[in-house]
Amino acid sequence: MNKKAIKWLYQELPELVAKGILTQEVAGKMREYYGEVKRTSRTSVVLIICGTIGALLIGLGIILLLAHNWEQFSRFTRVILSLAPLVIGQGLAFWVLWKRPQSVAFKEGTATFLSLMVGASIALISQTYNIPGDTGTFILAWMFLIVPLVYIMQASLPAAIYLLGVTSWSGSYWDNPAKAVLFWPLAAIITPHFIWALRQEIYTIRTTILSLVMIICISLGTGFSLGKTWSGSWVILFPSIYAIFYLLGWWKFSRLTSNWQRPLRIIGGLGLFVLAFQFTFRYVWQHLDSYSYRSDRMVSGVAVLPDNIITFAIIVIAMLLFYDTVKRKNITISLFGAVPLLAILAYLVRGQSTVLPLLIFNVYLFVLSVSRIIIGIRNNSLGTINIGMLMLAILIIARFFDSDISFVIKGLAFIIVGMGFLATNVLLARRRGVQNEK
Amino acid sequence: MKNNLIIGIFLCLASIQIVTPLSMITRRESVLKNGVQFKFKTAPVDPYDAFRGRYVALRFEGDNVSRPKGVPLNDSQNVYALIAIDEQGFAKFSTLSTSKPQGVPYIQAKVRHISRDNVQLDLPFDRYYMEEKAAPVAEEIYRQHSRQDKQDAYLLVRVKDGFAVIEELYVGGRRIEEAVRDAKKK
Repeated sequence: MNKKAIKWLYQELPELVAKGILTQEVAGKMREYYGEVKRTSRTSVVLIICGTIGALLIGLGIILLLAHNWEQFSRFTRVILSLAPLVIGQGLAFWVLWKRPQSVAFKEGTATFLSLMVGASIALISQTYNIPGDTGTFILAWMFLIVPLVYIMQASLPAAIYLLGVTSWSGSYWDNPAKAVLFWPLAAIITPHFIWALRQEIYTIRTTILSLVMIICISLGTGFSLGKTWSGSWVILFPSIYAIFYLLGWWKFSRLTSNWQRPLRIIGGLGLFVLAFQFTFRYVWQHLDSYSYRSDRMVSGVAVLPDNIITFAIIVIAMLLFYDTVKRKNITISLFGAVPLLAILAYLVRGQSTVLPLLIFNVYLFVLSVSRIIIGIRNNSLGTINIGMLMLAILIIARFFDSDISFVIKGLAFIIVGMGFLATNVLLARRRGVQNEK
Repeated sequence: MKNNLIIGIFLCLASIQIVTPLSMITRRESVLKNGVQFKFKTAPVDPYDAFRGRYVALRFEGDNVSRPKGVPLNDSQNVYALIAIDEQGFAKFSTLSTSKPQGVPYIQAKVRHISRDNVQLDLPFDRYYMEEKAAPVAEEIYRQHSRQDKQDAYLLVRVKDGFAVIEELYVGGRRIEEAVRDAKKK
């Protein structure tokens, strides 16, 4: 439930009671049902943002100041100056834990500052002693040194930094699947924090940031670490990942209401549409078996197992979540979540004919977009109708470009699709106007 | 009570965070103090090689070692490169070993590439960091002293128990920092 709506309701309640529309008892029960609106949220959000940005700026400033006169310092001075930011960061974090353990903003800010300073110190020391650049090892050491902060200080930005770190670590081993696959256990370390953050209601902004970073990192991490020993598996793997995002986004972890607070649902849905759309093109299925990420390094035997096990697990989770929504007879959500299942089907039948997978996804996208339009009309929601029409238009236009039709007819098709958009919107707007007049 | 526990855990973490860079420092300081000094002659720079901007990228003449017979080697394997001194006083690698050598100076390095007769090594010193403004000047100077026709740059390295730490980079008989300072004055 929207916090703003509850606030509005609470403002109205006294008047409703005064006018005799509600009894005092009912009003009391409503208050009981919706609970107290926490007032701290706005100030603490501002504090978190200011605190964190301030921490970042101070940290970067310190490093810049140091780097400026670096050459003139003796090695001893450099070492002291390299360690100083780290010690300052630790001091600040300690002070917050000691004196302000309740302040989310202070904890988030100092934990972020300390996380960055750990990296800065190691990097500065590496420069002082000309330590050769093994980026992977450096990042991993840095990440291990900061990840406990996520739990000690209940801070989400260090968790985001950690996720970005292990993702780039995995990226530095993209040609070595046996190592890159460690991305999954490494990323799993922050799962408890992520779930905890999703359950929190008040500080949604950091949960949103963390969700976004999580989505980006898992998408990249999948590309870096999986599908290298089983060519063509990506057509099932990526839809499964986005289906998991999308379906998890519908779970009621907390009472989120506005759209930007639901990155899982929105990006998951968008990803599923983009993938399904991509699968309507012939080239995906034509080159599926000939093209693979396989690197020069031969991967065989046991080294293949982690890749295949994790791929399999992701597909199974997507299937289970899909089954769950189907069981609850939620048709709209199930339709989106069906992409992995269809991808498996298409993967299996592609041997018979390359037309079959194309047929599956063209029909699927047609059904999906038409169903959106119907739902939109039923609920009188212009947004849903337009999304459905946009999806349909993209499908139609793509098919027109695929086929050998003259430019004149292609141009006409564009005009017709555009007019369809306008006409539907005008009609609906009118219908709404009529309904409002009644 | 709960907060005390959290602070305790934090203090443990903080000490690990401090000990990590400190151990990096002490290990290198001990090599710089007690290690044996070697001069490694640098290899000519490919003129088309990109400038780095933050450090001088180093390559060495001696990073090619003849492939030892009867020793199975793989790419990125850790090996011990035994150090010998040539007539001009520069360090060279005489041979490779997969077990720790006794009584001779050596460096622990990684196999980068194996050809039929040679093994190319990834040495644990491949860059010399300079301040942001000095680095491009230093790279230019280093190139002038690392050409086919004029090659008088070398790296001073201290080695102890297979662990190598860079001491100074020399071009034309003086430290690169001095060469940069003179070049800036001109």
